Amino acid sequence: MSSSLMAMAWFLGVDIGSGSSKGVLILNTEPQAYHWIPSGFNYREAAQQLRELLLAKVGISSEEVTNTVATGYGAASASYSDLNVADIRCCARGINYLFPLVRTVIDVQGMSTQVIRVNGEGRVINFAVSERCAAGSGRFLNIMANVLRIDLNDVGLLSLKSRNPVNFTTGCAVFGESEAISRVSEGASKEDILAGVHKALADKISGLVSRVKLVMECAISGGGGLNVGLVKSLEEKLQIELQVPPEPQFVNALGAAVIASTTTPISEVNYRFKPMDEDAWP
Amino acid sequence: MTKVVIVDGGGSVVFKVVGPTGAEHRRLANRVMEETLNGAGLAFDQITYLIATGYGRINVPFADTQVTELSCHAKGVVSLFPGVKTAIDIGGQDAKGLKIRKGRLVDFVMNDKCAAGTGRFLEVVADVLGLKMEALGDISLEATKKITISSVCTIFAQQEVITHLSDGVPLPDIVAGLHYAIANRTARMVRRLRIEPDVVFTGGVAKNVGVVNALRDSIGLNILVPQEPLFTGALGAALLGKERAMKAIVSGERLDIKERKLEEATFFE
Repeated sequence: MSSSLMAMAWFLGVDIGSGSSKGVLILNTEPQAYHWIPSGFNYREAAQQLRELLLAKVGISSEEVTNTVATGYGAASASYSDLNVADIRCCARGINYLFPLVRTVIDVQGMSTQVIRVNGEGRVINFAVSERCAAGSGRFLNIMANVLRIDLNDVGLLSLKSRNPVNFTTGCAVFGESEAISRVSEGASKEDILAGVHKALADKISGLVSRVKLVMECAISGGGGLNVGLVKSLEEKLQIELQVPPEPQFVNALGAAVIASTTTPISEVNYRFKPMDEDAWP
Repeated sequence: MTKVVIVDGGGSVVFKVVGPTGAEHRRLANRVMEETLNGAGLAFDQITYLIATGYGRINVPFADTQVTELSCHAKGVVSLFPGVKTAIDIGGQDAKGLKIRKGRLVDFVMNDKCAAGTGRFLEVVADVLGLKMEALGDISLEATKKITISSVCTIFAQQEVITHLSDGVPLPDIVAGLHYAIANRTARMVRRLRIEPDVVFTGGVAKNVGVVNALRDSIGLNILVPQEPLFTGALGAALLGKERAMKAIVSGERLDIKERKLEEATFFE
């Protein structure tokens, strides 16, 4: 079928995260534009601005968008969305779009980490969430980057240069921060501290992975996927090779856009919900 | 913080001092010890027996022996409140619940893995609010309604507090909400021991009247707080030391003691 015979329909997916807001515009089934901005303190403003920038990128107006799906911590602030969908479902759909063979996704976000079991259609089969513990999320890396006065974008690469990773005795970001400061004063290198931080985070995440039972192939998504140090630590801990999307932080927004392009998103709720014991984490 | 308590042969407190442990390496125990000796007007070799307890107990090179903080806390609490059955202690970096039967420790629960539910939680949020930790209790008494802090994690609670501030929620209401957050978390943990009265609350956080009130609401029982809740563990250590020394004297056994020399801890790799 030639595309000139097909209806031209635009779909928008936005992921208003705790740290940054991401958006993907797709035309029929093909992504056309990606964009992200910091969420700042006003999610409503960020959501509005993100949509304007995306629309401007492809030169269309908001009326030309057939369906919009919002997800993420601040999804409720995207008042223009037609539907809000849980990030777990968006992640599953997004990863399925990119890697149809993936059955397990590790989504490392700024406020939480989730491990999701996905079927061949991109539906959620099972999942485990870290319940907003900073030490189990990307936030831990943020905190440590601040302590060590290193740009967050560099922490992964630097950690790979470590020869003697520091062993963190705590699984708490607050206590970990103090521990890092005492290690610095004892003369540990930034590289060794960072390697220890990545290892501690990978240990926490692997606990989540074992709860959903790992099925290959396995991918990483979210901002954590940009961090080569975390990817390597996870690969070592889990003894597997991870699929890393080229733009891992856009997976949920992409999934939201894909869901927006399907007509009956409400039918997708038939996954098993597995509540977590709060005391089990950390 | 490092606390030193000296008791006499009758178990009465002679002198006590609290001082900083020191962020770096916890090497300041000798200074607090020295200050206590000076205050009591005693020479170090007049101390018959010396027990160290707490997280840094191995960093007290001049102590004759070390005893876990659980045993010392139990001893201290029982000496102050003989009818105690449940003791709750919230310190700077942990929270614990002790079940005591006939003056003996029979069970305990503890959180030292997560800053939430410990004094550290209050320290971090007080910093965000630009308040001194000591001021939180009184401020919370002015609350007209408490808000709910939904984050368990200290880091995310900090963020939540900032959001509440920017939404214009009155400071006392936020502080009261934080007190209930820490009290509810503690109560949930201690409930595993089946809470029975008398309930005694100790540790630095017990100095905060807001947390005491919140804990009373959470547990639904009256809460007893010692006059100086910070010293319970050190007091227990001193009393245990007294008992051991007395026993040795009565039985004629030799007490194994260190040379009475104040030195700071050194670390070997």
